[in-house]
Amino acid sequence: MSSSALAVSDRLRATSRARHAKDRALMVLAWAALVVAVVPLVAIAWFLVEQGVRSISLEFFTSDPPGDLSASGGGIRNAVVGTLLMTGLATLIAVPAGIALAVFAREIGGRVAGSVRFVVDVLAGLPSIVVGIFVYSLVVVTTGHFSGLAGAVALAVIELPVIVVASDELLRLTDRRIDEGTRALGMLRWRSFLSVFIPTALSGIITGVLLAVSRAIGETAPLIFTALGNNFFTLDMNEPVQAMPLLIYRNALNSAFPAARDRAMGTALVLVVIVLAFNLMGRWIARRARPADQR
Amino acid sequence: MTTTSRPQGIHALRRPRGLGQDGVFRLTLRVVAVLIVIPVLWMMVDTFAETVPVWERFGIPGFVTGLRWAPSFTIYGALPFIYGTLLTSAIAMVIAVPVAVLIALLITEILPPRARTWVAVAVDLLAAIPSVVYGLWGLLVLVPVLRPFEQAVAGTAGKVVPFLAGPTPGPSYFAAGVVVSIMIIPIIAALSREVFAATPRLQREAVRALGGTRWDVIRTVVIPLGRSGVLAAIILGLARAIGETIAVTMVIGNAPKIGASIFSPGFTLASVIANEFNEANQELHPEALIALGLVLLVISVLVNGLAILIRQRFARGVGRVV
Amino acid sequence: MTTTPIRLQPPPVEPAPVVSVSAASHNAKMLEPAELSVELSGVNAFYGSRRVVRDISLPVRSNAITAIIGPSGCGKSTLLRCINRMHELTPGAHVEGRIEYHGIDLYAPDIDPVAVRRTIGMVFQQPNPFPTMSIHDNVAAPARFNGLIAGKAAEHDLVERCLRQAALWDEVKDKLKAGGTSLSGGQQQRLCIARALALEPDVLLMDEPCSALDPIATLQVENLMVELKRDYTIIIVTHNMQQASRVSDQTAFLTMGDDRAGYLVEMADTVEIFTNPRQQLTEDYVSGRFG
Repeated sequence: MSSSALAVSDRLRATSRARHAKDRALMVLAWAALVVAVVPLVAIAWFLVEQGVRSISLEFFTSDPPGDLSASGGGIRNAVVGTLLMTGLATLIAVPAGIALAVFAREIGGRVAGSVRFVVDVLAGLPSIVVGIFVYSLVVVTTGHFSGLAGAVALAVIELPVIVVASDELLRLTDRRIDEGTRALGMLRWRSFLSVFIPTALSGIITGVLLAVSRAIGETAPLIFTALGNNFFTLDMNEPVQAMPLLIYRNALNSAFPAARDRAMGTALVLVVIVLAFNLMGRWIARRARPADQR
Repeated sequence: MTTTSRPQGIHALRRPRGLGQDGVFRLTLRVVAVLIVIPVLWMMVDTFAETVPVWERFGIPGFVTGLRWAPSFTIYGALPFIYGTLLTSAIAMVIAVPVAVLIALLITEILPPRARTWVAVAVDLLAAIPSVVYGLWGLLVLVPVLRPFEQAVAGTAGKVVPFLAGPTPGPSYFAAGVVVSIMIIPIIAALSREVFAATPRLQREAVRALGGTRWDVIRTVVIPLGRSGVLAAIILGLARAIGETIAVTMVIGNAPKIGASIFSPGFTLASVIANEFNEANQELHPEALIALGLVLLVISVLVNGLAILIRQRFARGVGRVV
Repeated sequence: MTTTPIRLQPPPVEPAPVVSVSAASHNAKMLEPAELSVELSGVNAFYGSRRVVRDISLPVRSNAITAIIGPSGCGKSTLLRCINRMHELTPGAHVEGRIEYHGIDLYAPDIDPVAVRRTIGMVFQQPNPFPTMSIHDNVAAPARFNGLIAGKAAEHDLVERCLRQAALWDEVKDKLKAGGTSLSGGQQQRLCIARALALEPDVLLMDEPCSALDPIATLQVENLMVELKRDYTIIIVTHNMQQASRVSDQTAFLTMGDDRAGYLVEMADTVEIFTNPRQQLTEDYVSGRFG
């Protein structure tokens, strides 16, 4: 091997050890960070499955909790039904309202739309407990009592900005060319939205709705001042209604009692499964739709 | 004007009488928007109206700087809770920011594309877990696990610095800060990831072509270009930390005073409201709690506004938080 | 809802040539007035206060292809978009001057711009089929929304007729349910032409319809245009002079003035423009000396 070849090979090899060391140090740090973040995920999953599964039985879903938290037995039927009722009603309110606001912001434009976007941004940034206080003042104080309806309104206010932002962003992404296509064909605007823009953005809007629902289902703080909670089963939305997060919270505060502790963990497992199901479904739809968006 | 050659006469082109369908559509949109926005604004005004007696009695500065919270004596001061909110948020940020930014770098710069998605999903799942579940886990698992560490710190550094001193009962500002940090890591990581991923490929390749290592790419391109976007992400994480309620309520120990050490039990604005609201039966107690909510509202609107401002000014490419 | 749907009649096979004689255009003398379809007189177009089209007068002959050529940025597309009132959709944009369609002032206060766009079809630079609709629906839906047709059978007839007119039928007849965006670029562009034809316009505006297509697809679209001029009046904007000379009957040459607004240098029969232009500028441009 000639000396010049040696020099070249040295040059090729010796790209500063120090720089490579930094590169490697960064890798180590980054992996360590990931471990720091994922350890809790695994720990929580393990904790829920290991401790929660034993509470789960048929009775857990078909009966209501005993009046006394410290007593064992009973189930969480009232909380499951209450959560579904309130989240369902909230979604029925928030989805049309959210899409209407997004369509409004896009179609009307100008300063009014700007202020609507601002209100939505403020709502999106509000701590959920503040939303609870707002709805308490608006609904509970006005009607004079806590109710499932108030809880549903609070959850709707939490869902609303998520749905508006998802729809707004997507309606905006809808190509300008498509917009011109509908204009040049002399299509009426409501027709363009109904038949072209919203269908084009639909998967994104559905993703937004599913993520909003998955967030609303797990909310506790706003329900404390609105739905309040109820030890009994009820379908009457004018009465206080129980919800899974409320049940977990109240039982956890009494976790010195083994029965309350087990009940809280069983419910938490069910809640996390439901929330993750909605969340993953939303992400799955978003992912499936992505190639179509890039057309 | 004479007749026209084509059958589409002027009649076909004439404007419809009245608003027309598009006019009705736009009017409907306006009405609906007003019907949605008005109640939202109304409930804010209404909430403020509820708290008027508190402001009349203590004054805004008096309430905000009041050190004592004693409902049975009708004395209400917000300072212990403002302190608790700021301290737990600070602890959470100290832990979460470096971890989250490193994870974002790991995902965008280091992992192969296939692993990227999986890690991103795993981190995002952390954001989906409900607050109350973090609280439950924090209370039953994390607080006991943290105690030996707290005792060790209190027994050494705590001997010199009162801020780190014992006793270490378990539930504390520190425990709350740790739980909150776990909750905001995925938020900051997800937003930073978007920022880093938006780095133009040409720029990365330019550094690589000049013989740069991955570290060089990060140092010279990714971080400088993403700085303001990451700052916005951090501030949005801070906003979340400030407003976090239930998980904090479950691990902070619930003491309405300023604890001298980070290992003392305390209260944040959000957690005192959640904890006391349903049992608030003293004079002005509910109103004072709602007033705390307004203080929280002001702080979080300021912090969010700062993030929005930074994003609009400097980081056009960053998406809004969903 | 306050409107009744505006129903357009299908164009008659023989155009009935009765039009008032317009004295507005100095160039009109070389054309038979009866043949005029669209006539622009003194058209100016603005974005905010910036003028992008200056004082253009163009007589457009019926059942012919009129090409608008000129260097990029000279306002060709803007001018085209004034004709079907698309220009004013851009915030801050407005039009001055007069545009007549068979003697009707398209900018008269009682004219509905939406109806104008229904009557004067447009095809864009980039094919823009509706992504969530099938090939069939891309053609049928706009006609259905405008109340032009009702019933499955009528829809199917319309789709077949328009796709045949657009020379696309044979390629897609077995997959009408497939998505509109699953087609190739050239096919998508012909689908968009079919979609525009479904509204039974008699004028078709084409804004550089081949600029996103490969040479083979371009040839297909060009042949199609020549076919279509039997039934339609076509105005095409193109930066491709060969294309203009191949397909068009008359050509307008625009260029940018010192005020950066486009103006009309010359308009004449295409053969004249390319072989014997009256203006030096035109000669320089068509012989490739600038632009």
